[in-house]
Amino acid sequence: MDNEVPLPPPRRLRHRSPARATPSASGSVASTFRKSRRFSRFDDRSSQPSSDPALFSSDDIPASGVENYNAPVTGAGRKRRYRGTWWGEQVQDPKRKRADFKEKRNVDSGVWMGSDESAAESVLTSEDSPNWGEDLLKTVLDPRASGKNPVGLPLTAGSGPTPAPTRPIVVNGNGESEEHRFARKLVNDCLEKGEESIDLGNLNMRTIPRDMLQSLQHLTKLPSLREPPISENAYFSLQPFLRIYLPNNSLMTLPRELFELKDLRVLSLRNNKLTSIPCTIRDLTALQVLNLSVNRLTHLPWELLALLQKGELKHFTPRPNPFPPIEDAEIVEWHRQSSEGQDDKTNDEDYDDEENYEEGIEERPQKPITFTTYDGSPPEDAWTAIHVATGPTTLYNMDGKPMEDTLSSRQAKLQQISSTNAPSLRELSLRALWKLPGLDYITEEEKLEFPSLVIPLLDLAQGVRADGGWYCSVCQREFVSRRAEWVEWWDCTPHENGMKRPRSSGEKLRPLPFKRYGCSWACVPEPQRVE
Amino acid sequence: MTAHRPRDGRLPAEDRRLRDLHDSTRSNIMASTPSEYVTLVSCDGFEFILPRSAACVSGTIRRMLDPSSKFSEALTGRCVLETLTGIVLEKVCEYLLYNEKHKDQANVPDMDIPPELCLELLMAADYLDT
Repeated sequence: MDNEVPLPPPRRLRHRSPARATPSASGSVASTFRKSRRFSRFDDRSSQPSSDPALFSSDDIPASGVENYNAPVTGAGRKRRYRGTWWGEQVQDPKRKRADFKEKRNVDSGVWMGSDESAAESVLTSEDSPNWGEDLLKTVLDPRASGKNPVGLPLTAGSGPTPAPTRPIVVNGNGESEEHRFARKLVNDCLEKGEESIDLGNLNMRTIPRDMLQSLQHLTKLPSLREPPISENAYFSLQPFLRIYLPNNSLMTLPRELFELKDLRVLSLRNNKLTSIPCTIRDLTALQVLNLSVNRLTHLPWELLALLQKGELKHFTPRPNPFPPIEDAEIVEWHRQSSEGQDDKTNDEDYDDEENYEEGIEERPQKPITFTTYDGSPPEDAWTAIHVATGPTTLYNMDGKPMEDTLSSRQAKLQQISSTNAPSLRELSLRALWKLPGLDYITEEEKLEFPSLVIPLLDLAQGVRADGGWYCSVCQREFVSRRAEWVEWWDCTPHENGMKRPRSSGEKLRPLPFKRYGCSWACVPEPQRVE
Repeated sequence: MTAHRPRDGRLPAEDRRLRDLHDSTRSNIMASTPSEYVTLVSCDGFEFILPRSAACVSGTIRRMLDPSSKFSEALTGRCVLETLTGIVLEKVCEYLLYNEKHKDQANVPDMDIPPELCLELLMAADYLDT
């Protein structure tokens, strides 16, 4: 039967004989079949008779996922798009079409879709009720009490500094521990209800999963009014007054996503196990209340000072923490003496960098450092943070090892300061490396395959990435391997008491250590004069 | 003696002529040292010619080219870097010139480093001590 059907005309045949112009319906189908088979033979040279590959209009985009969108087109496996009738087919120029499409296509569609958990039934009965906190606590305790936790965590409500129970992290089917699952649920609930106060306290979390807090960037308050307001005052801002409470957890590190929440106003990290605060905290410019008490901090990031001085941060609770007392710390330069001895120091001392090193540690003031005595209204600097002293600078060599403070290294240092400002090649490649998106996904096993000399550098880059980047405190540029670090002692008593009262006359200063990092040997503290 | 010598330590004209003569004879003996340019060769045979001052940014190359070391590199001014491929060495040379250019600048822009070369450049940086 097939043999009887007339063959299709040769290509680009314009005129058609009337006999062939009207083939029977079955014949047309059969000849199309034949035609396309001929093309499939052309395309893949396998002469195996097989059924035709299905032809779809979107087939010219191989695996049309976003990730291999820009992947080079492999010619062999690709199908051509045919337009027009089967006999006078025109192959479109696929390259041109793709290029046009690529320009139009935005890779990030900007559509945010909640995770599956967001549809889960709400835990909170009513967030408006006065005993909301108790409800919350109950729900926190609930899943464990009902026996979902096989280990049975002894957790008491409102417990003070409890030692972290050494128990295996309970992992559910998704590979996520129970605390995380529960915290995620809380966050999603808040997100759904437009609740701007997120209480993740007493959950005994050791880490915060990085994708948990990210969605809070999109938190919007819901308008609560059901009918049009009568007065102007009934309108209020839908800009959230975001508050995150993470007290009484066992956090040792903070995810960088926490510091990307520009709307964050209140952050409580009381009673955790933090040993340092990343310098990316400088991005939380709206922060008004920060509680860092009962942690393991020995120093604070210098970037916090900018928040205290220029930002909104009014309530700052750094104590208690194991900060070293300034009486025991090594100090190179005092910026403020006890108020009596302040003046005679200024006049006869020539603060040369070299000289400072020669004379070693500067003379320690005998009396405790106090604020200036004043009568009447408090002076302006009774409200602001005061720079009290600067500690010695530790310089690091290119490998990140501290330089021994020998005479030769000091000469080399002075020479370096005057000679080079360009970063080293290693530093440059590390800077390029930590920005790579794939860096997070390198596992420990994969790392072993790298040359042994690169592994510590990879660790370093991953550390920087976990912190969300380090910034030189002198030149403000991003860096990876620190070349200098020193401690500045600042007193911020007015911020510690919530800006309620200025320093009183002759008040004893209680400076806090703020650590600064420099990206090169040129970024070291300037010798400053006492003013 | 010291009376007619200028304060900045310049030598009197006669002394200077003598010293120049001395220098020229010395440079005739060691004909290779005064060359202003050196050649860096990659393991796959690419050659890059760049100023000696730029090449000496790298500690390893500086020691290779040190005239007092009597290495063959110092005599010929040609360093064969067996561990670096041409692609990496090209980037390394770009860096050496970048460092030379921005040495005294206050605000140095970052050099652009393609991500696929990051790890190899890290290895190269370790080898070259830059």
